[in-house]
Amino acid sequence: MKIRKMLAGMSMTALLLGTALTGCSGDKEKTASNGEKTEITLAGWGSSPEETKLLDEILKDFESSHPNIKVKRETIADQYMDVIKTRLIGGEGPDVFYLDAFEAPGLISTGTVQPLDEYIKEDFDLKDFEEPLIKAFQKEGKTYGVPKGYSTLAMFYNKKMLEEAGVEVPKTWEEFQAASKKLSNGKGVYGFGASPELARLYHIAQAKGGKVATDNKATFADQKVVDSLQPIVDMHNVEKSAAEPKETGATWTGEMFGQGKAAFVFEGNWAIPYLKATFPELEYGTAELPEIDGKKGTMAYTVSYVMNAASEKKEASWELISYLTGKEGMEKWTSKGFELPSRKSVAEKSGFAEDEIRGPLVAGAPYATVWADDTNLPIIFNNFNNQFISSFLGDQPLDKALKAAETQANKEIENQ
Amino acid sequence: MSNRNFSKAKAREAGQGYVFMSPTLLVLLLFIIGPILYAIFLAFHKVQLLGAADFQYVGFDNFTKIMNDEKAKMALWNTFKYVIIVVPVQTILALVLAATLNAGIKGQKFFRIIYFLPTLTSSAVLTLIFMWMYNQNGLFNKFLSIFGLPGYNWIGDPSIALNAIMMMNIWSTAPFYMVIYLAALQDIPESLYEAAELDGANVFQKFLFITVPNLRPVTSFVVIMGLIGTFQLFDQSYIFSGGSGGPNNSTLTVVLLIYQYAFKSMGTMGYAAAIAFALALVILIATLIQRKFSKEESLY
Repeated sequence: MKIRKMLAGMSMTALLLGTALTGCSGDKEKTASNGEKTEITLAGWGSSPEETKLLDEILKDFESSHPNIKVKRETIADQYMDVIKTRLIGGEGPDVFYLDAFEAPGLISTGTVQPLDEYIKEDFDLKDFEEPLIKAFQKEGKTYGVPKGYSTLAMFYNKKMLEEAGVEVPKTWEEFQAASKKLSNGKGVYGFGASPELARLYHIAQAKGGKVATDNKATFADQKVVDSLQPIVDMHNVEKSAAEPKETGATWTGEMFGQGKAAFVFEGNWAIPYLKATFPELEYGTAELPEIDGKKGTMAYTVSYVMNAASEKKEASWELISYLTGKEGMEKWTSKGFELPSRKSVAEKSGFAEDEIRGPLVAGAPYATVWADDTNLPIIFNNFNNQFISSFLGDQPLDKALKAAETQANKEIENQ
Repeated sequence: MSNRNFSKAKAREAGQGYVFMSPTLLVLLLFIIGPILYAIFLAFHKVQLLGAADFQYVGFDNFTKIMNDEKAKMALWNTFKYVIIVVPVQTILALVLAATLNAGIKGQKFFRIIYFLPTLTSSAVLTLIFMWMYNQNGLFNKFLSIFGLPGYNWIGDPSIALNAIMMMNIWSTAPFYMVIYLAALQDIPESLYEAAELDGANVFQKFLFITVPNLRPVTSFVVIMGLIGTFQLFDQSYIFSGGSGGPNNSTLTVVLLIYQYAFKSMGTMGYAAAIAFALALVILIATLIQRKFSKEESLY
């Protein structure tokens, strides 16, 4: 017992010493000497240079309307969550940072994210946000983050390939399978460019009433889940009408689609600027994802701004968050179409719903499944992906693969 | 009295010594001894570092957990396969390369530079270049198709992915050991070869019965360094699989698993530390076995 305490003390002093040595960045002193200007840090990832430029413009607007606050923007280029978690442990976390809905429950449960309820005032109009999106950042009645935008999945189709094959844009899953088969030539061109991972398949997996996770435990070996995912595995192994990007030498389905190696892909908003920049000649259209058993479904991915609970500049941090996710800020942020507005009022004004390309994405918002569950989703999806891919490639039957993955996932959850 | 003076002087001298050493001692304590002690401490606790740091003493639980962790077994098996293939192949290849370069062929210096080049590239960059070549439409498959052979899904196929990393690693580390062998080859007395020639030995016999036995101490060094290096495989499989150890756990190595438990899932930092200790133990045992069999000192 004594030794343990001593060791703990020693390690804590080592940690403190470490942070003291590395922590002399001096921004605390700066604010103290200036007295008036508060400097807050905002950390996020940089999706594209254009997007970063837009954010910088908005931050400039914010600074001019809030002369007492200065925002220092930091881009964490790789392994975002690892970096953020490490910095939070070291007490060097940013004041405001991006948080993906899928990582949110885990981080919220540690108490490192500040609940925002005391800051949210009536005029911020929290009800204006799309219900499923804001819900992903709420826990036990408290709101921990405000979604900065979102994207759903839509079916991107290659107009020329469909025309040449005389295929209509499929509406149901059966039509989709038939169309994919017709569009595959068996030599590098496939009907469906699939991403065999849970983040993209979650809504399909649950389409027949099974659940991927129940009470924070993996339950995807359920026969209903197996049945709903079986068609995708069959498309690859039996009908040879689907392939993953790696099989055609692409890194993701958007690239596969752009190179003309897939007639259909399920992609999100981020693919639109990419296709425009990389494959400007490509003629494509979008549609809502094919219905399964007469029911519509799609995934939604959302990221929010959250506040570090250890931040010493909470008032200023909230000023920033409320500006960025306020009606005015969100309108600017979504004006270029990098993300769809998570506020209903902004969405109505934006006209994205009438947009030919973005319309189907917007249409998916009300029935979308948000990519988030509970604290154990990272373990669940890691194990699912690991086994599903081998089944997709034909190494083992799907039910066996999912059973093995479920067992392993639950074992890891118990071991935690 | 004089005794006391003596001890005082000695103490002062020792004190001076420690003052001079203090920067090094501080660095050692802070960056080497400290972390090791902290890791030992972690290995016996269930740790949640994020938020209010929470340490819970669990004794040997973290170590017994390894026994029935399928993933840990898989990682160990992958690493074992990797070590057992890569270490002998890279050692033999390095030896053969060194011997041919030492034989006095034309343009020897040129080949020495060419052979050594892969070692100079950082392994991260190397991996990215290889991934590009392993691509479905990449260099490797194009090369195979010249001979009418079918291409592979090098990166995405679980049964091949680890082999792809093996090839990459052998190609990049063998030259490094080759240079060590080259230096050692210069030390073999020419008279031994002359004597063998008089006895009518041919090139292969000279290589097998003079070069190889004389290089035994160096071989021992190369194998031990190779063992440690391959057991610690991380960066290549990390970049290759995007950090997941996939496809289907086929590129999951022990160090990659430690990384995953330490940073990817919450509250398993202590378990990760326990696996790290288990790995250290495995490397220690492997090295001891190697030393036992090689008997490097027996030559001199």
